[in-house]
Amino acid sequence: MSAARVWAVAMRVLRQMRHDVRLIVIMLVVPSLAMILFGFSFSGDIRGVELALIDEDRTDLTSEIVNSLKSDPTFQVTELLPAQDPEKLLLSGYQAVVRFPDKFTSLYYAHFAMGVATEAHGTLHLWLDESDPQIASAIRAGIADALMDVGEGGPVEVEEHPLYGVEVRFIDSFAPAIMGYVVTFVCSLLTLLSVVREKVDGTFERLWAAPLRRGEFILGYVIAFGLVALVQSALILGIGKLVFHLVINGSVFWALTCVILFAVGNVGLGTLLSALAQTESQAILMFPLVVLPSVLLSGMLWPLQAIPAVLRPLAYMVPLTYGNRLLRAVMVKGLPPWSEPVGLAGVLIFLVFTVVLATLTLRASVKQ
Amino acid sequence: MEAAIEVQGAVKSFGPIRAVAGVDLVVGQDEIYGLVGPSGAGKTTLIRMICGLLKRDAGKVRVLGHPIPEEKRKVEGRLGYMPQERALYRDLSVEENLLFFGQLNGMKRDKIRKRTAEILDFMRLTHLKRHLAENLSGGEKQRLSLACALLHRPELLVLDEPTVGLDPALRQEFWKHFHELRDHGHTLLLTTHYLEEAGRCTRVGFMRAGKIQAEGAPAELRARVARVQGGTPSMEEVFLSFASTEGK
Repeated sequence: MSAARVWAVAMRVLRQMRHDVRLIVIMLVVPSLAMILFGFSFSGDIRGVELALIDEDRTDLTSEIVNSLKSDPTFQVTELLPAQDPEKLLLSGYQAVVRFPDKFTSLYYAHFAMGVATEAHGTLHLWLDESDPQIASAIRAGIADALMDVGEGGPVEVEEHPLYGVEVRFIDSFAPAIMGYVVTFVCSLLTLLSVVREKVDGTFERLWAAPLRRGEFILGYVIAFGLVALVQSALILGIGKLVFHLVINGSVFWALTCVILFAVGNVGLGTLLSALAQTESQAILMFPLVVLPSVLLSGMLWPLQAIPAVLRPLAYMVPLTYGNRLLRAVMVKGLPPWSEPVGLAGVLIFLVFTVVLATLTLRASVKQ
Repeated sequence: MEAAIEVQGAVKSFGPIRAVAGVDLVVGQDEIYGLVGPSGAGKTTLIRMICGLLKRDAGKVRVLGHPIPEEKRKVEGRLGYMPQERALYRDLSVEENLLFFGQLNGMKRDKIRKRTAEILDFMRLTHLKRHLAENLSGGEKQRLSLACALLHRPELLVLDEPTVGLDPALRQEFWKHFHELRDHGHTLLLTTHYLEEAGRCTRVGFMRAGKIQAEGAPAELRARVARVQGGTPSMEEVFLSFASTEGK
């Protein structure tokens, strides 16, 4: 073995890289992004869960529990007036509703009536959005801590009101996220590779000399990858159902409709990104730019509330955040898509934004 | 008869580089017009402007009677373009490539099938019709690329270096095809840097540094040079003569 030849090969490879500025930029950005996201994205603590609190008793005891909940960073507590429908509150965005009924305090103290323990106890009502089991666990733990603070657990029964009629397991809430992730991966990244390949092979030139419109090109990709996304989603649901006894609480039709909407947006994203890559290796190196934020910041592996506040604005810029939210609402909560307006609006804005921009930039990416 | 291509004072720059520096060109119908010149002469840039793939900085371009790129849509289905790269879908078979480009040009499936059989026979690719494009040899890819441009029987064929990289026998075959196409009423504009091929065109434009330096029928150009230098000059000698004249 000749050290000189080995050195020559190594230097040649590095020199080749030096001539590709985009490649150098991507090679520097990807590890930096990976380290920052992996390092900061999961704090381990869930923070800022939206909790609605209805205190119908209004005593020193309930105030003490309310203050304890307010001082817990897990929650962002909003006190509301009585006579509000808890289910509507959950649909409006709260993740839990706690209600202290009238006579909560008197029943609490009746437990120790005349120095003798009785059957009496205070009952706290809890309505819980169980579509994310990790958040549900954090809420239960936070309430238990608040009750411990006032009386070492005391004679309080927490009465949970199941909202969606089923117990949601981790796999049930994870399946929609897997669907969203697969759609992101397949539609955006395969579109990116495929369009870059059109540029590299010169077929783009032939296409634009033929009577093909930009919109027709993108729609063609949308149909092809939309079908692929549908087949893959059906596979995920089928395997989930057969192997993991997945509970799909909502309509499969609406779930697949949402998958198609999200797939269209991702085809737009792939086409848009293709304007930034001139070679297939540049395109492949762009994969982590799509995959890392989708996995780490979208609420797929851990809830958004577990992402540090400093990174949360970034999380709201990740399309899969809205895709997850919409698919979970449809599949786990059993809601129609329009009952999850934030998720639906996010997916639609993503779709329109990427498809319009991709259409505008597509022609510009023909080699000059 | 209206000209197939009319270019007046076309200019195109890329940053500080002036790729096309004021070209005037008229290609009549049923012609084989050859743009000949060294690499970097501006041939590809000029034909990309003619196909509406590049916007000119100045001047006028008319193709089949329509200003380009303003009325590109009226011309697209009547034009066949073969880019310098083979521009094929490597993971599609020979007939799938043809099917796709036929559909893009608005042909019905039955017509595509019939025309594919004809054109594969014409290009001697019938036995390879189910082969993936990536598995074809260089010459076969080149023939398929030409077949994709010809499939929809365009009135005007714009071919960028159609014979580059082909062996002499295959080049001969290609030129036979070009003359057959012309006999069938097609107009051809092609680029080449093989000077001996220029002699096979009905008219030739010698392009250098973004300009057409000399233009005419091959016999006429040879005669012009022969009047000055004597003898029977080859196309290479004709080109060198015009290049040196420009230099002075």
